[in-house]
Amino acid sequence: MAYNWNWGVFLQPTATGDDSTYLDWMFHGLQMTIGLSLSAWLIALLLGAVVGVLRTVPNRWLSGVATAYVEFFRNIPLLVQLFLWYFVMPELLPENLGNAFKQTNPIVQQFLSSMICLALFTSARVAEQVRSGINSLPPGQKNAGLALGFTLSQTYRHVMLPMAVRLIVPPLTSEFLNIFKNSAVCSTIGLLELAAQGRQLVDYTAQPYESFIAVTVAYLLLNVVVMSGMRWVEAHVRVPGYIGGK
Amino acid sequence: MHEFDWSSIPNALPFLWDGMLISLEITLSAVVFGIVWGTLLALMRLSSITPLSWFAAGYVNLFRAVPLVMVLLWFFLIVPHLLESLFGLPRGTDMRLTSAIAGFALFEAAYYSEIIRAGIQSVPKGQMAAASALGMTYGQAMRLVVLPQAFRNMVPLLLTQGIILFQDTSLVYVSALADFFGAAYKVGDRDGRLVELLLFAGAVYFVLCFAASRVVRHYQNKMKTA
Amino acid sequence: MISMNKVSKHYGSFQVLADCTTQVQKGEVIVVCGPSGSGKSTLIKCVNGLEPFQSGEIIVNGVSVGDPKTNLSKLRSTVGMVFQNFELFPHMRIIDNLAIAQVKVLGRNPEQAREKGFKLLDRVGLRVQAEKYPGQLSGGQQQRVAIARALSMDPICMLFDEPTSALDPEMINEVLDVMTELAQEGMTMMCVTHEMGFARRVAHRVIFMDQGRIVEDDSKEAFFGNPRSERAQQFLAKILHH
Ligand SMILES: Nc1ncnc2c1ncn2[C@@H]1O[C@H](COP(=O)(O)OP(=O)(O)O)[C@@H](O)[C@H]1O
Ligand SMILES: [Mg+2]
Repeated sequence: MAYNWNWGVFLQPTATGDDSTYLDWMFHGLQMTIGLSLSAWLIALLLGAVVGVLRTVPNRWLSGVATAYVEFFRNIPLLVQLFLWYFVMPELLPENLGNAFKQTNPIVQQFLSSMICLALFTSARVAEQVRSGINSLPPGQKNAGLALGFTLSQTYRHVMLPMAVRLIVPPLTSEFLNIFKNSAVCSTIGLLELAAQGRQLVDYTAQPYESFIAVTVAYLLLNVVVMSGMRWVEAHVRVPGYIGGK
Repeated sequence: MHEFDWSSIPNALPFLWDGMLISLEITLSAVVFGIVWGTLLALMRLSSITPLSWFAAGYVNLFRAVPLVMVLLWFFLIVPHLLESLFGLPRGTDMRLTSAIAGFALFEAAYYSEIIRAGIQSVPKGQMAAASALGMTYGQAMRLVVLPQAFRNMVPLLLTQGIILFQDTSLVYVSALADFFGAAYKVGDRDGRLVELLLFAGAVYFVLCFAASRVVRHYQNKMKTA
Repeated sequence: MISMNKVSKHYGSFQVLADCTTQVQKGEVIVVCGPSGSGKSTLIKCVNGLEPFQSGEIIVNGVSVGDPKTNLSKLRSTVGMVFQNFELFPHMRIIDNLAIAQVKVLGRNPEQAREKGFKLLDRVGLRVQAEKYPGQLSGGQQQRVAIARALSMDPICMLFDEPTSALDPEMINEVLDVMTELAQEGMTMMCVTHEMGFARRVAHRVIFMDQGRIVEDDSKEAFFGNPRSERAQQFLAKILHH
């Protein structure tokens, strides 16, 4: 029952005869994972910042809408959300739009659904961080801004947000890591990202352990890169002499 | 625009209910096992025995770096092989539920252990000192003094993690197991009513998780004022 | 300059301010004191509309604060305020703390704003700290910067909310000195403070508050000579015995 280790398998040409090696497959998967995660992350940051700010404004309607947004995306499983975007959304769009979507390249369909899904899912979490960052500022900061004659939106822009953003870099790091991991869920609609390529490798090569280890190492590397990147950001935005929130 | 037809849902309710039971079974087993194993990991991580604390740190960091869906997939692919060769189980024994539960539990334990570690560290150091001064051993002090306080503070976080875990059980879809989501998908696929069934599943998850998170928040507020 | 007429405010059934009436003339320095929780902060925050109030009227330089049509931002840009915890903006250099509102609110050009900032820093003796961040300054220095920041807007009057009570004792005087100088130059000031020495030196009038009410509103001489209410007498006795 001994298992035959064969690390050379990655350099073999694939069984599909398309002139690529299994290592190429892994790289394509990695590229997809990175492209998807980064694009979704950018959208999530923007949306999350807006929704998070709205949750703290003194207008019950706006903050109510923002709260509903967050609750919606937090209480439905990611996989269900993904299927809703991929299978249900095109049916609910106006007919011509829905059809246009269904006629695009399947990879584009998968990518768009995945990106929107991850972006909105993550934006709700980013919004929570933004809100708690704003709420953890000393309450006098807002008054100090207003007392100088800033409008409420100027106070947010020049006084509260710059500090809140700095405070939430560490928790955002963890959300950033999550988006890479969550992108693996998109393999379920056929998107060939890293985890899916790993699975394909098992099917084609019958070397499950090598593929498993290779994919795991790739995710570990992504983690390390993201963490060092965010640590750099953290050091870069650190305010001299500033310790703690209050 | 899509013409809605919800008629396949009423007949499918018993099947969906069975699926919900599977989801809950996975959630509960994984929560219980995850907390037990997570506590052990946290204690190892905080212990002064270097190999143990390294093992725990490695375990936690590894599992926290990889996607859950990948772990589940691998458990689904590898665990049956492993058990067959280890215990000589007949080929084709349905191991999906067992391997799903094992995958979840081992994965979630890494997350639980971080919550529990923070909880233990939030208990003032003086408590440990006071317990030792009374003549308790390290184990007694941990078990009788520190852990009870740590867990009381952690209950909301542990419950919230439980809600996340419940949502994540939908990922057993990758092993074609008929949990609630898998069941809904199957019915929708069979009847050509995927849109309705997916919307229904989303609504059910939302209602359950929203209600549960409200209960947790209520408990949290009560704890704060108490 | 500032006139309050029967101002009342409550949170639910809790009365924070009850029928507060007083006037501050141009060039006058008023000290507001009273036990903690008596509504002093709330009262002066009502003056620039940081706290809304339910009834009564406040007129600042001819503008009604409570009127929903009033442009509060514009009003506030003419009223300087100094807080107990300084509230400098921690992510900006000292000079930017002084310049930002001049540029964004008053529309001054950045060069002029910085120049004015430097002048005011000179005045509070902190020119050399201009390029530092607030966290790198001592509490007393931060509070002097905060005063300079308020002055950079060329305010018509200044509000102080316990400007020295978060400071270590050895730093209190450097801040009081700046305030004293300001008072002697004729700035209209409303100061919540328990520094009775400061009050004796520069105040024209002293207001004593208790449980949301203005209990005493007297000239400095009358207040220190012989406060009428028992609460104020007790309060003074306690403070003076420190
Ligand atoms: N947001 C609030 N809700 C309820 N009560 C408040 C609130 N803010 C202040 N108070 C109460 O109003 C009273 C006056 O507060 P404040 O003006 O800060 O007093 P002072 O500055 O004289 O110490 C206090 O008793 C305080 O507890
Ligand atoms: Mg006060």
